[in-house]
Amino acid sequence: SVSNQTSTIVLLVFMLALGAQALTPSHHLSPSDVDRLQAILSQPFTDLKSAYFSIVGLSKLGLSVADANGACSFIKANVDSSSVESLFYAAEASQALASCEIHVSNETRDLLHAAVSEDSTVSQIHQAVSALSSFSLPLASQEVVSALKARISKEDNVLAITLALQTASRLSQQAELGEILEEIEDLAARLDDLGGVYLQFEEGLEATALFVSAAYALSDHVDVEPPLKEDQVIQLVNSIFSKKSWDSLSEIFSVASAAAAFSNNRFHKPVIVSALGPATVSHSQPLLQLQVTDVLCQPLSSADVVVESASSVASKAAILSKTPFTLRDGIFELNFMASKPASGYYQFSVAVKGDSRLVANHVELKVKVSTKVAINNMDLSVVDKDQSIGTKTTRVEYPSKAKASFVADSHQNFAMTFQLVDETTGVELTPHQTFVRLHNQKTGQEVVFVAEPDSKNLYKFELDTAERKTEFDSMSGTYALYLMVGDATLENPVLWNVADLVLKFLEEEAPSTIQSKNLYVPKPEIQHEILFSGVLEINPPLPLFSVQWFKLGANISNFSLSPSSLLFHIGHAAMLGLMYVYWTHLDMFQTLKYLAIIGSLTFLAGNRMLAQKAVKRYSTHPVHIYSEVKKLNRCMSFGEK
Amino acid sequence: MSSSVISVISRFLEEYRSSTSTRLKVVDAYLLYILLTGALQFLYCLLVGTFPFNSFLSGFISCVGSFILAVCLRIQINPQNKGEFLSISPERAFADFLFAHTVLHLVVINFVG
Repeated sequence: SVSNQTSTIVLLVFMLALGAQALTPSHHLSPSDVDRLQAILSQPFTDLKSAYFSIVGLSKLGLSVADANGACSFIKANVDSSSVESLFYAAEASQALASCEIHVSNETRDLLHAAVSEDSTVSQIHQAVSALSSFSLPLASQEVVSALKARISKEDNVLAITLALQTASRLSQQAELGEILEEIEDLAARLDDLGGVYLQFEEGLEATALFVSAAYALSDHVDVEPPLKEDQVIQLVNSIFSKKSWDSLSEIFSVASAAAAFSNNRFHKPVIVSALGPATVSHSQPLLQLQVTDVLCQPLSSADVVVESASSVASKAAILSKTPFTLRDGIFELNFMASKPASGYYQFSVAVKGDSRLVANHVELKVKVSTKVAINNMDLSVVDKDQSIGTKTTRVEYPSKAKASFVADSHQNFAMTFQLVDETTGVELTPHQTFVRLHNQKTGQEVVFVAEPDSKNLYKFELDTAERKTEFDSMSGTYALYLMVGDATLENPVLWNVADLVLKFLEEEAPSTIQSKNLYVPKPEIQHEILFSGVLEINPPLPLFSVQWFKLGANISNFSLSPSSLLFHIGHAAMLGLMYVYWTHLDMFQTLKYLAIIGSLTFLAGNRMLAQKAVKRYSTHPVHIYSEVKKLNRCMSFGEK
Repeated sequence: MSSSVISVISRFLEEYRSSTSTRLKVVDAYLLYILLTGALQFLYCLLVGTFPFNSFLSGFISCVGSFILAVCLRIQINPQNKGEFLSISPERAFADFLFAHTVLHLVVINFVG
């Protein structure tokens, strides 16, 4: 209808508008991750630095140390009043504890003031300023600002500027923090965008997390929104919370600080929306339950969670619009089944409202509606091929089995019709899997067919006994007939033995035994013999060769029967024999071993034999030494030219 | 045209018969044998198919290798080339030929499978 079309168009436009900013956190801390953070931060302190990380880290998570008094004594015992760093840890940690006063002497105060200068590093200035602030000692903010500005230009690295931001957040609001505030934007520009999903410094997770907490600390302090776009905020969330097992206490501390910064600063509050369990509803479980939390997995109880729209994935028909969730025990619930949706998948567009700081508060969610299937009007019949009018049909009710078996021979067809409907609503269903399985218990044969629905969603299965005989290997006998129904949206998949079917094939076509199709039997080894005999038989050139040699007068008349000659020939024959044995029995290593022995013998004998032959040749065909030398001279002088 | 080709060929054969030593002719006969065997193997592979391919390859390469080694032997024992191979006597050439053949056979047998 027209109104339907207009609403769909509006929906599409709306979804397009949403699609432009559709980035939601793909990584976030789960409640178990938060527990793990807490557990590691609660471990006993090894030194003052670890005490600082633990105490301040836990306070950022909104938790306190187990033994506050013990912690305080630990701090007092381990502080080194001559070190700015040690004073920094002690000051921050004692400030985080409920009642822990550390006495600060005048020397200590002077030491801290002296650290605030252009000659100290940013890290030292940060520690001194933080210590002074935590000890509630007076501070010359403008001096700090000028020192910081001077140091930033000298130490232009991410960590230094982050510490400068953190320091500035402890100064008086009357000081000129504008220039330092601009550093947030410059630093944000240095972040690397990885695949549009992550945003982090190449210096790593800790640097990114510390930047986040420092940037929000300063922004809150001066009440100026940090220049971070919503997508960038989500990408930062992804980067910082993608790592779930941390290397060091300082890394954990930075993650906890960043999490605290994201969950309560004045400007940006990333929202994590996830379904509780699988996003599936059914008649037995009609409620869609969502967890809507901040990055520390604390539920946003004051938020309004609304389904902007919900539409069927298959038909694109809208089913819900602007429907609110109700909050119960920290979970947002919606009774989706009350809208009587058909089974299938639905695309939900959920919006979280109620706080202007919320980021990533529009979420797309795919919800599955499951149902139970009922099989109606299961009619079985055997029809004669030449008669289109069927014989009597038998109705079988699920889950019982037909009392009598059906008999079909090659002149008959077996037919089965049925309907699949939603158990509760009665709406016709077309599940993914509707199979008819015929199983011969005696031979173990199994043939599976697909049942197809017609235009009225009525399922039909017809078995032409003669046509299908190859599938059955023409094996007559009793086959158990099963109906199999399955789908992702069905809660009750069906395997129903409907009836027994006796198939009669023509006897002469049946094989004597059924060979199970063994596709995975190793193929027989190619026998050497086949090849070798081939070589010996199919060797036409050999007679030609023998004739040629014979004609040329190759003879064994010159065969000297000297021992070396004999030994050479025997050895050579043995080597050739070894080659054959290698081919049939041995491996390379054994062959090489034997070859070494026979080879050396053959070589020695051969060397001897050839030398003897050479001597004989020289004696019968003496070569004039002089002419040889002249030839040599000629060659050499030719080379010189 | 064809008559000149025939006359060239017959002249070549006549020269060959008269001026080539028996020893070289023996090697030449062996070369022809190897060539024909290799050609036959190749033809068999074309007709029957390449399975098992490693066997075909090893057989064919054995022919090619033997042909090359025999050609080397022929070059080295040819008295007309004596100037090129002053340090290599015919016996030494034959010994090299045998050694190279041993290595070739080892590899071929390994590969034929």
